[in-house]
Amino acid sequence: MGNNAEDKDLVDHTLAGEREAFGVLVDRYAAQARRVARAVLGDPDDADDAAQDGFLSALVKLAQYDARRPFGPWLMRIVANAATDRRRRRNVRRAEPLDPSLVGGGPRPDAVAIRSELGERLRSALGELPERRRTAVVLFDVEGYSHAEIAGILGIPEGTVRSEVFHARRRLRTLLEDWKEQAK
Amino acid sequence: MKDAQSFDHRPDPELGGALRAALEPTADHAAFVARVMGQYERALERGTIPTFEVLASWFRPGIAAAVAALILGFLFGRGILTPAPTSIDAAMAPSEGPGLAAFITATDPPDASVVFASFVEQQ
Repeated sequence: MGNNAEDKDLVDHTLAGEREAFGVLVDRYAAQARRVARAVLGDPDDADDAAQDGFLSALVKLAQYDARRPFGPWLMRIVANAATDRRRRRNVRRAEPLDPSLVGGGPRPDAVAIRSELGERLRSALGELPERRRTAVVLFDVEGYSHAEIAGILGIPEGTVRSEVFHARRRLRTLLEDWKEQAK
Repeated sequence: MKDAQSFDHRPDPELGGALRAALEPTADHAAFVARVMGQYERALERGTIPTFEVLASWFRPGIAAAVAALILGFLFGRGILTPAPTSIDAAMAPSEGPGLAAFITATDPPDASVVFASFVEQQ
């Protein structure tokens, strides 16, 4: 996450018409925005489209940003909404069922394949979770936002965020433990 | 990674790392930034006059026009429906017969025909 004071400074410069300042903000938050959008959408190309929509929407709404609050959650809320909108508009695919070859034993692959396999399993498992749940766990465990910040991003009570993260973690940790057992 | 940690208020580095790797964008970072910045001017042009502001810009003149129309309608209607004011003398002067003056100045209770006649005359 970016530095709040620097972010606010960059926002001020962007509002003053400095294109480069907005470029720094995009560079700073691009990876995070793309991951959050991918958590919502699944497909990486759709996620990039949604992340772009989010950045440009944030640019247009930048005067509405409350500088007393951190910039990251404000931006992520816009990105998550853009991803959700895109998902609704395009009726993006539901989670594909796990490939049986990935679930069962089979020959032990090399390190790269193992990493790729885990990534595939996690993406599939994420895709099976409700949208809000997978977004919450990604914002918490990957992006490091607090429960209160995620509550603001998703527009839900903080207690609901805790519950969503709990259920998502339980599912994903089981998968991760199973995978580690198989990889031994 | 035990289930009890599911309610942990701290991020789980192992799960977080695995998820981060799984969600890592496939396309180049710099290319993505360039793509967003390529839409910078266009987004600002589109966003200069948001829909709400267009509606808001029509709202105020619309309200002013409606108020002006109401005032004009009220004045015009009042001019048509309200008869020209008459003086008290004109109202009291009988056009024919005993009329209103006779009705007011009489010491005896009025005859019904007198009351009726005063009404008819005023019409």
